[in-house]
Amino acid sequence: MLALIGCQSDDVSRRLGARCDVTADCAQKCLTPSGDWPGGFCTTACTSDSDCGDSARCIDEDGGVCAFACVAAGDCTFLGSAYTCAQVDSHGGQAMVCRGG
Amino acid sequence: MSRRVIALLLVASPAAAEPADTGTVAADVGDQAIGADIGASAGGRVTPGGARVQGHYLYQLSDQDWFDGTATFTYGGGGAACFRDRMNTFVCEHGIADGRGVEIAATVRRFFAAQGDFRPFARAGIGVGIVNFGDDSVSGLAIPLHLGGGVRASVAESIAIVAQADVAIGFGVLNKTLGLEPQLGLAVTAGAEFRLQ
Repeated sequence: MLALIGCQSDDVSRRLGARCDVTADCAQKCLTPSGDWPGGFCTTACTSDSDCGDSARCIDEDGGVCAFACVAAGDCTFLGSAYTCAQVDSHGGQAMVCRGG
Repeated sequence: MSRRVIALLLVASPAAAEPADTGTVAADVGDQAIGADIGASAGGRVTPGGARVQGHYLYQLSDQDWFDGTATFTYGGGGAACFRDRMNTFVCEHGIADGRGVEIAATVRRFFAAQGDFRPFARAGIGVGIVNFGDDSVSGLAIPLHLGGGVRASVAESIAIVAQADVAIGFGVLNKTLGLEPQLGLAVTAGAEFRLQ
């Protein structure tokens, strides 16, 4: 349990992945709580994957935002049980990212 | 307040070491002295760091020991660095030079034998202060223990320059659901001291 809590605090940040209700909760942008983003999701605007770092992809939502990349649903458990690995649009292609299931 | 009472109020004293050449140190430091330092401190998480300004009041307790009352101001930068993780726990990840703090501390400074022009000393005690990270609206009360040391060199009859390092370790009680949090800081300062008597 302690390891899980430690992992979650380390993996999310004000830039990407923290819970939020308003923009002020994040470094740049809050995807407010919804079925797609349970608990809210701090993210940053992007135009390409290179804007999002190694662990995230730039997806076609809200003008382009970063979301954690994944391969399987298990990769998203650190965000909570409401998150799963889903295929979404990404710059004319598709990307697998963590979002509400 | 008598010297004995001041000594009893202090919870820690530097460990015994080689005896100081007591006649010289008393004449050098004086019965009372004041000083001011500037420097930098490193904090992190919920310990403020940044530029540091300190004021000292020294009062002789014994042949080797002086009460060292200190008022410290720490002024750092940094923006908001706290967030709610996925477990909805409020977490702060401030940098080593973020935040602001003000503290008063009661310490004992023990002087050792002079090494050439320099007189080394050790310092230990306890403080109480207020920490603040304005962009996150995080603030609280901190109670750190201080351990440190430095060197002092007289440059005139009543004036000395001092350089010292200090480690502060303790805890803070903070708002925004943070509660009890550890405090850990390191500071390096230099300044001047003036003998009063």
